[in-house]
Amino acid sequence: MKKQHEKYLTIISIIILGIVVYLAQNYLDAYKLRILNLGAIYVTLGVSLNLIYGFTGQFSLGHAGFMAIGAYTTALLVLPPYYKEIIFIIEPLVWPFTVLHTPFIFALLCSGFFAAIAALLIGLPVLRLKGDYLGIATLGFAEIIRIIANNIPQITNGALGIKGIPEFTNLWWSVGVALFTIYIIKGLIQSSYGRALMAIRDNEIAAEVIGVNLTYHKVMSFTIGAFFAGVAGGLFACLLTTIDPKAFMFVMTFNILIVVVLGGFGSITGTVIAAFLFNFFLEYLRPVEDGLDLGIFSIPKIPGLRMVTFSALLLIIILYKQKGLLGGVEFSWQGLFQFFNRFFNKKSSEGSAK
Amino acid sequence: MELLNMDNVTMKFGGLTAVNNFRIKINTGELIGLIGPNGAGKTTVFNMITGIYKPTVNKIYFQGQDITEVKPDKIAKVGIARTFQNMRLMNNLKVIDNVMIGFHLHLKSNLLSAILKLPGYTKEEEEIYNNSMELLKKVDLEKYENEKAGGLPYGQQRKLEIIRALATKPKLLLLDEPAAGMNPQETRELMDFIQQIQDEFELTVFLIEHDMKVVMGICKRILVMDYGVIIAEGKPKEIQDNPEVIKAYLGVDSDYA
Repeated sequence: MKKQHEKYLTIISIIILGIVVYLAQNYLDAYKLRILNLGAIYVTLGVSLNLIYGFTGQFSLGHAGFMAIGAYTTALLVLPPYYKEIIFIIEPLVWPFTVLHTPFIFALLCSGFFAAIAALLIGLPVLRLKGDYLGIATLGFAEIIRIIANNIPQITNGALGIKGIPEFTNLWWSVGVALFTIYIIKGLIQSSYGRALMAIRDNEIAAEVIGVNLTYHKVMSFTIGAFFAGVAGGLFACLLTTIDPKAFMFVMTFNILIVVVLGGFGSITGTVIAAFLFNFFLEYLRPVEDGLDLGIFSIPKIPGLRMVTFSALLLIIILYKQKGLLGGVEFSWQGLFQFFNRFFNKKSSEGSAK
Repeated sequence: MELLNMDNVTMKFGGLTAVNNFRIKINTGELIGLIGPNGAGKTTVFNMITGIYKPTVNKIYFQGQDITEVKPDKIAKVGIARTFQNMRLMNNLKVIDNVMIGFHLHLKSNLLSAILKLPGYTKEEEEIYNNSMELLKKVDLEKYENEKAGGLPYGQQRKLEIIRALATKPKLLLLDEPAAGMNPQETRELMDFIQQIQDEFELTVFLIEHDMKVVMGICKRILVMDYGVIIAEGKPKEIQDNPEVIKAYLGVDSDYA
């Protein structure tokens, strides 16, 4: 298998993906499109959290906070000015936001940028902490962002949230951003800097003693992860068309965490699959909540039973498959061909034995 | 030429003095041993040199430069590398990656060119890979290139850790009990290996060891520590006959005291 061939295969599969996206975008109904869009956004979120948690080993629970920053940034930048005047009823919007009106792509980049700035500021002091303590501190940060969003109505419209955001997000955007995220983070992981990140995860003291600057690398990973969380937040806002502080509660981070754990720490392929599975199940498990009547035995309607199912699933994964769905295997063309080779050889040898 | 100078350095943890008035001058090209009973403070000395601990009193100089307050990663950069008593490999990473990480601190390409795999970076990465393989070959580990480091046998993990330290291109190499847990055959190989790399990389080696055969066999100068202080210093022969050292290691029968 030559490098050149792999390149062609990658280009061909991206073209096929493009065709699939085109067909899905044009022929699927809004409900199915919404699930696919969410799946793709969760890919971005999951892969970016995996960079921080899975590859660098920094237990961060701040992703909902970065998403919130991104979502509000995009919302404020893409809403037409006249519409902002209508919806900000508690307090009028403050100056620069009243006139700002930018293209979607610029808004997304700003979202990522501001989330990254926030990560830089919070990361420098907080990344000195380790393990659970870091988790608690970043969780606190996410909550602070949410509460701030609740209490500055002149920018965020408070608890009412921002409504009527133009629905810019389609599959082209969400899948495109997901691919870009994977490209950048995979590039990072497979470089010398990525090795340094994984060295920090495996043994912090050893990494430092062989010359890895801990602060620089941890903050770098945290900031890049937050950038993509911010962009995903922007996509999220323009998909749901309405955001309010409640959308960015801890549950949001927890969902992303489920995706990362399901997919496996440090597995990008696993995260991609888990992101889509999670969103499919979240929707198609709805019948579970409808209750069941078997005559002698009946289960009442219990709203939220879906999430219980997920928690149980998470427990099973943690107990029996710590490396995630794929067992830590990363997709590669070479691996795929080896798999098929083995598969067919087995079949043919079985055939000849008969 | 004077490489390392610790001038009456003291390390206190609260009320406990782990190392008291430790002084040593190491010249380029030397191979010095540090021995002493368990808990004598030997590893603390290494931790002070590599910046993991900051000495409470006095300073440490490397090539005339004060490195007392310098962080561990910067100390690696000026040219001090070490191994650990209880090996610290990146167990989940491949053997080759463990070595390649050692070259990271000399990487010239910036983050962006590394992510985008620009030609400048690709060339550097290739160089790093080749140099790492070269190092692996020295300890016959090249066939385990793609194995996980944690899966290697104990003796080979020890060698890998030394190789990783060499990848940082050190001037001074600190080895913390390199022969611990090795059988006599492996120990002999290790002694040869240490002398071989010392010549080849023009290294200065400072090692902690419990195995007397190793220390007496390869070190030209030995320091003995007990309860945080240096109790003897000299050539291997002198150390062997020193009553203080015998007392520290074997204890003294109270009848004869």
